[in-house]
Amino acid sequence: MSLSRPGDAAAVRVGDRLAGQEPWEVFGERIRRYEIHLTGEKIEMTRGPIALEGYGIRLFRKRDNLFGIGCQASNDFTDEGVRAAAEDAERIARYSSFPEARFELPTGHGATGGIVEVLDRGLWEYPVDSLDEYVAALRAAFEGRKPATLSFGSVRVTLSEISICNSSGLRTGYGHTSVDVELGVKASGGPEGAVPQEYWVNDSDRRLRPAALGDRVAEWSRFAEDVRRGKPPPTGEMAVVVPPPVLAGILPTVFGGRFTGSARLRQVAPVAGMQLGSELVTIHDDGRIAWAPTSSPVDDEGVPQRRRTLLDHGAVSEILYDSLTAGTFDTKSTGNGFRGFTSGARNWYRFLQPPTVSASTIAIEPGQGGTDAELIEAAQDGIWIQQIGWSSPDPLTGAFGGEIRLAYRIRNGKLAESIRGGTLGGIALAPEGSPSLMTRLEAVGSKAAIAESVLSPPVLVRPLTVAGG
Amino acid sequence: MGELSDAESHLYHTVARLAQRGPFVEVLAQAARGLSVHYDGHSTSFHAPALLRGAVFRAWTRTGWTEASVSGLDPESLRFAEGAVERVLTHRPAHDSPPGVSSTARLEKMTATPRPIRDMGEQEMLSLARDAFSWTAGIPEIRETEVQISWRDDERMYLNSAGARCYQGICRVRGGAFAVAMENGRVESDRFIHGGVGGREILEGLTPEAVRKAAESARDMLHARAPPAGKLTVLLAPSVTGYFAHESFGHGAEADQFVRDRSYLKPLQGQTVGPEILTIVDNGAYPGAWSEIYCDDEGHPAQRTVLVDRGRFTGALHDRDTAAALGALPTGNTRRSDFLSRSFVRMTNTYVEPGESSFEELVEEARNGVLLDSGTAGLEDPQGGQIQIKARMGHLIENGTVTDLVSSMALSGQILDFLGSIRGVSGPKDFALDTGSCGKGRTDFLPNSAGGPYLLATAVVGRA
Repeated sequence: MSLSRPGDAAAVRVGDRLAGQEPWEVFGERIRRYEIHLTGEKIEMTRGPIALEGYGIRLFRKRDNLFGIGCQASNDFTDEGVRAAAEDAERIARYSSFPEARFELPTGHGATGGIVEVLDRGLWEYPVDSLDEYVAALRAAFEGRKPATLSFGSVRVTLSEISICNSSGLRTGYGHTSVDVELGVKASGGPEGAVPQEYWVNDSDRRLRPAALGDRVAEWSRFAEDVRRGKPPPTGEMAVVVPPPVLAGILPTVFGGRFTGSARLRQVAPVAGMQLGSELVTIHDDGRIAWAPTSSPVDDEGVPQRRRTLLDHGAVSEILYDSLTAGTFDTKSTGNGFRGFTSGARNWYRFLQPPTVSASTIAIEPGQGGTDAELIEAAQDGIWIQQIGWSSPDPLTGAFGGEIRLAYRIRNGKLAESIRGGTLGGIALAPEGSPSLMTRLEAVGSKAAIAESVLSPPVLVRPLTVAGG
Repeated sequence: MGELSDAESHLYHTVARLAQRGPFVEVLAQAARGLSVHYDGHSTSFHAPALLRGAVFRAWTRTGWTEASVSGLDPESLRFAEGAVERVLTHRPAHDSPPGVSSTARLEKMTATPRPIRDMGEQEMLSLARDAFSWTAGIPEIRETEVQISWRDDERMYLNSAGARCYQGICRVRGGAFAVAMENGRVESDRFIHGGVGGREILEGLTPEAVRKAAESARDMLHARAPPAGKLTVLLAPSVTGYFAHESFGHGAEADQFVRDRSYLKPLQGQTVGPEILTIVDNGAYPGAWSEIYCDDEGHPAQRTVLVDRGRFTGALHDRDTAAALGALPTGNTRRSDFLSRSFVRMTNTYVEPGESSFEELVEEARNGVLLDSGTAGLEDPQGGQIQIKARMGHLIENGTVTDLVSSMALSGQILDFLGSIRGVSGPKDFALDTGSCGKGRTDFLPNSAGGPYLLATAVVGRA
């Protein structure tokens, strides 16, 4: 699909018809999505184009010391459709209220956000061919891998054009691509006679990278074999090495829930200076990391994304704001007004939901813990947790926990047999003075990797609670 | 009939034209509307579901199904989707008919209620929300109360080239309160949610007693002990029993997993897998339940399917493809999240049927263990036959008595081991269904309900 000329962008086409209804904001989205679904290695269904173009209007109405915020979304671009959406928003604004000390819509100045790499040019230009090539490479990579096979899968690519404008003169936008891969890799047979088991792959990326599939499929196949051989862990408190994919299931929800202006409004946000983590841990929110799934040049209100320090050597530093919560506390937006975030993950279309304040990419600074092997040696006795079924973190209490899909026992500083079953749980973030995953960090690895909306090295935590047979 | 009536003629003619190029074509068109209010004492926000309408066309080709979706029901939008499907049918013309039974049903049904919720304006919704907010007053530890009241009308029209025409309009109504307690930096919460298919009468379930009970529970959680860990006797409260039914025999019995050869249940059809006191059902036709539907998204009527009949695994949930592959009939369980999403075999209202024990008898039978209450999340592993269920809170059971409150827990284990350990199911007065949502994998969320009475078994439990 070709990028729209500035005047043709979805938001601008709607915004041009909202004269006289200031202050207003329009978020527009134009999307093409293509999918291939697999049963085994056979193509079950091709889907696409899935064509979606829509917009979300927000109107802001001052009433005494409150603001009435009216939101409505639509995919009807006719004059009648825009008028109906605006009327809905106006009516809703009369009944809604938000405490505001000072509210400012971002202006057009400096709102481009600069270049952040979020668009795969090849995929944008040739989505169908790129997807076909990727799926062919995926199927080929499983040849000769038995007893590991592909039991099911889906590859979904999305091309999105975002446009944002408001009555303060903002006109901005960007294109981005996203790739979602969901696979079940099954291991069956083998001398142990164990029942077949699966390793689940859930990858979010900005690019299709078929050249990397050979190594990745080999790794997934090995993991599937280890799931099949795995036995439940012992019950007890033990040292746990937690790699980025597991942290990705915990930290965005917890930090995105507590380190925000909306949490401050509810009086549950931490206060600057509180020591909530080990001195070994420094955590940023960074929306400008190249190719990260939650990166973008500007947030969904058009404010440029930046890097913000949440924990500095374990001490609370900053919290995150969108335009509304920033206005409540007489400060500036940190570029964290996002649409379509659910539990730390971002929906493939976002215009339906109004912005809320959320984290973008949670980045843990690499430490002195060294390589994976050095972290394992430091643990001496414990487990390496490779995958939790669903850690279902509670953004308020910080509690997380779930079933161990795959882990490895650490004995005498070396990886030993695989673990499958039982649970791992704890508190990710606790009140000052109480133990948590953050305070019990004993070492932070030296090399970071992106996993969904986390950029982190593996970390060694001592102890966490493991329950097994 | 509502917003889809204007588009019906265009949809019909588009299907008819595409049917000239292939053996079978269908379309599902959707339009939704509704309103929700969220009130927390600081702010009030209203949200109206988007004025979003569109359609997905599906056609059978030489290499299987192909689909194209478009957001819009105007002739230009429909031509765009028609063109996309037509190109695939030209390049990959079908040589045979699609598998399974094409619906020929003719159905038109909307949620019947004497008190339609759409008559309830913003002011009335806000008044109820403010009332519910006030019901937690007087509990000093409650730092925050959030009230949400919402309704959504989901209109769907299904047409196919075999002559089916199914229109359904389903109105889901839900009200709930979420209370947050805080003391010395510790934060705990609990919630009460009540909902179903119907009208304003559903909101009568949002009572002062229920909301205050949730707030008191959040307060009490501030002093809850850490839960025990290890293999324990577990007594599941109705919402947790629902997660068990949903994750074990719900997902495991979705027959697309059989076709993919990734269900632990596939070789167990017809066999005894649990005690005689265990019966599990999926019922899309359950009147008023949160996931009631009148027909599925392939035009097959909703029905009651018994998955486990007194301990014996008897049934599976089917769409047309899986029914054809396994020699069965469609069960009315083909569902799409929306017109942008593909269809899958999905559950509706899935539950354990009541037994005959009383709650007190089950506690006495347990002797020592843990009562898991307030289910919050679950996960299935159809291939490996494992489940994970998370409960927000629970109580210790000591010497046949319910004692101290404990904080959130995760339950995990092999489903067949769990089934073998079931030794009690309580009676009809404890039965409850929840108002949840469920995904297939990590996407495609749609309204779903699960429930049951109390259930006594053994499982691994740990802090979570």
